[in-house]
Amino acid sequence: MIEFIDIHKRFGSNVVLDGVSITVDTGQVLYIIGASGAGKSVLVKHLIGLLRPDSGRIILDGEDITWLDEEGFYPIRRKCAMVFQNSTLFDSMTLLENVMLPLRKHHKMGRKEAAKAARAKLELVNMDRDADQYPAAIGDGLRKRVAIARALTLDPQFVIFDEPTTGLDPMAAATVDDLIRSLRSDAGVTCVVVSHDLRSIFTVADRIAMIYKGKIRLDGTPEQFRNSDDGVIHQFVNGLPEGPMSV
Amino acid sequence: MNGALKSLASSVGGAVLAIAETIGGAVTLLFRILRALFPPRYDAEGVWRSFYNVGVKSYPIVVMTALFVGAIMVIQTAFYVKKTGATGIIGYGVGFSVFAEIGPILIGLMFSGRVGANNTAELGTMVVTEQVDALRALAIDPLPYLVVPRFLAMLGMLTLLMVLGDLFAIVGAALTAQLLVGFHWRVLVADLLQSRLLDEFTMGLVKAACFGISISCISCYFGLAVRGGATGVGRAVNNSVVSNATAIFVIDFVVGYLYSL
Ligand SMILES: Nc1ncnc2c1ncn2[C@@H]1O[C@H](COP(=O)(O)OP(=O)(O)OP(=O)(O)O)[C@@H](O)[C@H]1O
Ligand SMILES: [Mg+2]
Repeated sequence: MIEFIDIHKRFGSNVVLDGVSITVDTGQVLYIIGASGAGKSVLVKHLIGLLRPDSGRIILDGEDITWLDEEGFYPIRRKCAMVFQNSTLFDSMTLLENVMLPLRKHHKMGRKEAAKAARAKLELVNMDRDADQYPAAIGDGLRKRVAIARALTLDPQFVIFDEPTTGLDPMAAATVDDLIRSLRSDAGVTCVVVSHDLRSIFTVADRIAMIYKGKIRLDGTPEQFRNSDDGVIHQFVNGLPEGPMSV
Repeated sequence: MNGALKSLASSVGGAVLAIAETIGGAVTLLFRILRALFPPRYDAEGVWRSFYNVGVKSYPIVVMTALFVGAIMVIQTAFYVKKTGATGIIGYGVGFSVFAEIGPILIGLMFSGRVGANNTAELGTMVVTEQVDALRALAIDPLPYLVVPRFLAMLGMLTLLMVLGDLFAIVGAALTAQLLVGFHWRVLVADLLQSRLLDEFTMGLVKAACFGISISCISCYFGLAVRGGATGVGRAVNNSVVSNATAIFVIDFVVGYLYSL
């Protein structure tokens, strides 16, 4: 279970999170939505200690991880993986080596064994054919798929996906949606997904939370979002240019 | 007048603070590196890769610099030798200045311009593209994985290259003596070898090792501290080059002074 309790975070005078509380139950898929710059990426980075809150607490499986030091976050990061919004593959390595790295570092696997396991992860996202390319040689959508494979190498219990389907073609996006569903149903993985992709949101999410002006505007089921009479939510869910949210 | 004084004072104060911050950052990084070395806790494969990268990048400029250093010192020394007729000291004169002073400082500067600047740019780019955060997210500590291998490679490689540089400086000196100055190259080399320059030679190596430590710490410090996109990387590379050059002169002075005691 993941609990964010009253998280406040500002950068200089820019107040990004102004008291955000969310709870994600084990085995649940929570989608976080909100306009560009709403603070979705900032929020999820708190979970693995890449950012620290100004105040508030973060609890993972009953353990208060808010003030762990960098050293203390390493075990957390092994069970809680993150796919970054910008893929962030290591560009000095091939795609295969990118996926092998966590295996070699943490499972002390030899080259051959790690390569085999890494190829299996690349197959999950249909990227095994391009395994020996370098990240700079392939497109953004493909890089994102490899980043997903890399995040899954350590078989995490929690996965954060920051916009996993943005920049992907509809078929690839559907593959990623299936992957998230099967992580939940086959491995009981708890997923936090940041997304703008309305189709994914309404077909995969168990629950949705919307961040608006530093606070949670609504935290509920897809049904509740569809039927909400809140103008802000109605505008976002229907992708309307006009409404209470200034674009 | 008052305003001019104030702005002078504040810019001097700012510069002092910036220098203190750089020294503090680089020295802190050095201590963290040393802690990761005892007991060893770093990426062994990465160390070999770094040695290779650093060596391949820097040996051509080291060889070229060394050839010219030898050549220049022969021309300078020959001028005085001819004037005073003291032909017996040409080897000593060349060897002394090449091994102890001009060789290390020029090779150190070239190395910092090539390897140090490159390192700052590489780490800085990894920071702004979130590759360093991605490492942390994979529970891989960037210090033993990225920084320690670079530290060991620069320390080891610059020391080794200084030996290579000394050899090529002798070659450059011998060639110039023979072809341009009219001294037989054998006379020069024999004189140089008889001059008992072991102290100067080891002093050069000590300087090289210290330069390797300072170049790696300073360039990694600026690389990892980058903020603000591509312009931030540019600024960091700039600061890294200037700080490295300054550190080289200071270290050269201090080591030379300690040897003179
Ligand atoms: N490291 C940082 N330093 C300063 N400001 C930051 C930092 N990271 C994020 N911000 C600011 O926080 C705000 C929220 O950024 P964030 O990346 O979380 O938005 P987002 O909701 O993920 O938007 P998008 O959909 O565009 O990814 C932005 O105004 C951004 O400028
Ligand atoms: Mg974002």
